[in-house]
Amino acid sequence: MILLLRNRSAALLKLTLVGAAFMGTSLLPVNAFADDQEVIDYREHVMKTMGEQVAAMNQMRQAKIAPENLAVHAEILAVTAATAKNAFTPRVVGGKAKAEVWANWQDFSKRLNELVAATADLAKTAKQGGLAAAAPKMESALTCKGCHDVYREEKK
Amino acid sequence: MMRATRAAAFGAAAIMLMPAAGHADGKETIEYRQHIMKTLNEQSAALGQILSTTIPGDNTAAHLEAIALAASLALKAFEAKAPGGEAKPEVWSNWADFSKRMNDFSRKTAEMAKISREQGTDAALANVVDALSCKGCHDVYRAEKK
Repeated sequence: MILLLRNRSAALLKLTLVGAAFMGTSLLPVNAFADDQEVIDYREHVMKTMGEQVAAMNQMRQAKIAPENLAVHAEILAVTAATAKNAFTPRVVGGKAKAEVWANWQDFSKRLNELVAATADLAKTAKQGGLAAAAPKMESALTCKGCHDVYREEKK
Repeated sequence: MMRATRAAAFGAAAIMLMPAAGHADGKETIEYRQHIMKTLNEQSAALGQILSTTIPGDNTAAHLEAIALAASLALKAFEAKAPGGEAKPEVWSNWADFSKRMNDFSRKTAEMAKISREQGTDAALANVVDALSCKGCHDVYRAEKK
């Protein structure tokens, strides 16, 4: 990745941003995403981050790992959940996302909004009260399966 | 009564024998630190896509925040001496160097997130190559699984 970063100068980044501004914001969602695979990769980075953080938190809930950093994990989860809807906004079917994500966008985005609210609340609770306070909320906040059953196609 | 006393003594001894961080099981310890390192990997990759302009930068600040938060956990996750996964034994035999690198990583990513909050993402990204110099550490301390 670093090689990639080194090959991309700040000037190029600024130039692109200026170019995008000239094209007009209404065109951004279409033109800004150059490649469908990039869109799929990007949202998978977001979803995998959430998967890793939920797994770490579950280790703490099951007393397999000391829960001292639960609040930090909950914060990473909340920060990442807030990026998810944006990552799914471009209508690009593929990866594990079923076409229903966009066919039922109203329901899907409502669920993602609820996830954002629930994880933000969980992060606040974990920060204030640690595992004892957060544990009862974890199951209801992290209802990943409810969405995955409808919108995610598990690859074998 | 005697049995209860013995059980209590055993429990106390077991607690004392646990690694400092309270990690009960080597496999769990390895999995836990992998959750943190994979998070760093996913978030860095997402940021890399934004920097290469293949993805718009709307979420840049959030990625910088997530990276800084995960980086702040990484050293602690390696404190328990549990070789395995992709971590080489050198992590613990060269602990002073490893922990210095981890602390540098945490400090630099925290600084980047702070600049992002206070001055915006363009200013924060000026230091991204220096802050995310993952390869330098991985070359020494990580045995990548094929």
